[in-house]
Amino acid sequence: MLVVSTDPAHSLGDALVTRLGVRPTRIRAKRHTFDAIELDAPRALARWVDANRVALGDVLEHGTWLDRDDVDALLDLSIPGVDELVGLIEIDRLSGARRLRASGASASLGEARPIRKRAPYDLIVVDTAPTGHTLRLLGAPELVAAVAEVLDALQEEHRLIRQQLARVGRPEAADRLIAEIGAQAAEIAERLRDGGRTAFHWVTLPEPMSVAESEDALAALDAIGVPIAEVVVNHVLTDLGPCPLCDRRIADEARTIARIRRTIGRGRRVRLIPAQLEEPRSVNALAAIGRSLVGPDQHVGSDPRVGPGRRVASGRRVVFERHGVPTKRGGHAGPPLPELLGDARLVFFGGKGGVGKTTVAAAAALSLAHAHPDRRILLLSTDPAHSLGDVFSARLSDRPRRVGGGPANLVAREVDAEAALAARRHDLESALEEIASTVGAAGVRIGGRGSELLKIAPPGIDELFGVLSVVGARTAYDAIVIDTAPTGHAVRLLEMPEAARAWVQVLMRVLLKYRSVVRAGPLAAALVDLSKSIRDLQALLHDRQATRFIVVARAAQVPRSETERFLERLRRLQLATPALVVNAMTLTPGRCRRCRATAATERSELAALRRLSQRRVIIQTPLTAPPPRGVRALSEWARRWIV
Amino acid sequence: MMFILDSLLIGGLRFVLDQVVAAAEAEMNDDTALREQLLEAQMRLELGEISEKEFHQTERDILARIREIKGRPQGAISMSPEDKVSGVEIESWNSEG
Repeated sequence: MLVVSTDPAHSLGDALVTRLGVRPTRIRAKRHTFDAIELDAPRALARWVDANRVALGDVLEHGTWLDRDDVDALLDLSIPGVDELVGLIEIDRLSGARRLRASGASASLGEARPIRKRAPYDLIVVDTAPTGHTLRLLGAPELVAAVAEVLDALQEEHRLIRQQLARVGRPEAADRLIAEIGAQAAEIAERLRDGGRTAFHWVTLPEPMSVAESEDALAALDAIGVPIAEVVVNHVLTDLGPCPLCDRRIADEARTIARIRRTIGRGRRVRLIPAQLEEPRSVNALAAIGRSLVGPDQHVGSDPRVGPGRRVASGRRVVFERHGVPTKRGGHAGPPLPELLGDARLVFFGGKGGVGKTTVAAAAALSLAHAHPDRRILLLSTDPAHSLGDVFSARLSDRPRRVGGGPANLVAREVDAEAALAARRHDLESALEEIASTVGAAGVRIGGRGSELLKIAPPGIDELFGVLSVVGARTAYDAIVIDTAPTGHAVRLLEMPEAARAWVQVLMRVLLKYRSVVRAGPLAAALVDLSKSIRDLQALLHDRQATRFIVVARAAQVPRSETERFLERLRRLQLATPALVVNAMTLTPGRCRRCRATAATERSELAALRRLSQRRVIIQTPLTAPPPRGVRALSEWARRWIV
Repeated sequence: MMFILDSLLIGGLRFVLDQVVAAAEAEMNDDTALREQLLEAQMRLELGEISEKEFHQTERDILARIREIKGRPQGAISMSPEDKVSGVEIESWNSEG
């Protein structure tokens, strides 16, 4: 058995307390062993391109009037969204099982192709990236198929010449490669939809925002025909005796679980995983949870937590800390963010999936808007699995709009890459036509097969349109607050300007080189504009006064390891990270066992976060039940943050 | 054989001819050609192939020439800007047509 993580921000190794890499690491549990891998997609792609460089280069050289230097420049470009593309192909390579099982918000694949050698694993468990990018992962086979068709069209002319003039009908390496890519795409697409070989286990939390995101995601999965085996609700609180805090949270969770059963759980198995008092790190702790996952499910259909006759509080929001309580460290309550952010023009909020980025970003944007009524502020979500609307209990879209009851100088927008792609389809088609004619790819008719590429929202598109949205909005607003996708894809978003600029430069070089045959048209003008905008954006991103990246974390071990790597990554990207928000702290615990254990863990984790965050300001936000929703609750909550 | 060559080449040939026609039209309309030169200079600037200073020099020259053309009375050249090259006649060795 093999466990693979396809999230660009891996935490599989953290959970297994083992350093993992791209080669299988043997993990020993009490009774079994299995292998584990964390994929490195950019490296895997570079390896694949190198292995197929000659054949790919042949296709591009035959089908266009590009020479080998041009072709090499193209092949060395980094491909946005490569995590999703390579993820599926690598799993396909590793797989070959009779039955597969997936988990995470996750998928797994199995069963080898008959022509392959014996597959190394019977079962592959895939830990996928957070929701939005898992949906893109599933669209990857269609994209690969479209790429294979374009390559095929480029090769067609050359193939005709060989057949008719040289009387050679034997396929060459390039033909074999194209056929292989096409077949692999078709096979993966089919396997993903085959319930006998692939099983999706959708993992969610008993929190309204996670459930809202899951509802959207499962509807999208249903639409493309991917079977969902079951819904796993993780970290469900159990009754550990009377406690004002936990009783309230348990009651909230019970309502959320009832909603799960009515919506995404309808007609499916719903498994509840009880919350552990200690974070399940280590193979044995995970094995215990695993047994309850695969064994007979005594929890199905009943809520194990609320014993008979126990009444739980209901009604008003319960706040678990008092106003302005001085902390032991002499901190104080108050709205610390506006001062901290000064006159920053771009403020990013990022962190691991599920830590509460969106809630924190929304509350921060509100307090910023209140503190500076003269500044126009845009709150922008670039996570393809948007939750901004859920936080405000409002319907948001790609068009900026005021949120109900919010200040007049604040608008919110959820970047919708698919809609943007559809809206710009005509422009993009003309641009592709122009590229095809510039490089002499007469065989590729953009109106026909090439435009398939534009029908699919390809991996990486969310980061591209995310960056373009910031580029477009940066002059219209005084400040943009950005709620990013979870860690791995927030990094991809920040790497996007560099990647996009490299593409723009290669295209401009090609236009200049062939200007004697093809006149520089609207594409050249668009590329010049884009290149300038990206340069401006890069300057803005690296201006430590103008741009701040606020990392949101939780005081727990697995999130802390990811936070540490994230901060290091942001440092290398030369971004200012002046503050760390430690979200949902149990600031005044109840007296139950869980509250005591949680408070103890949080204290030691907070101390560890202070050590690793060095001079950064640490902001603690209080846990509330239910979590703050809507302008009023969010503004009130932000006033209780503690520095 | 001719038939094969025909099917292979005509698409590409027609494309090249289109470009020749387009280039000829551009020559007739100096303004367009100059604007393209400006675009080219902008691309070179973005690619770092020329410096800001060189770019501004080129830009000044091109803009001056555009102004000059705009000020020049029509009729100095034999074709007016409204005239278009509508096609190029070629003789093909291909008898199967």
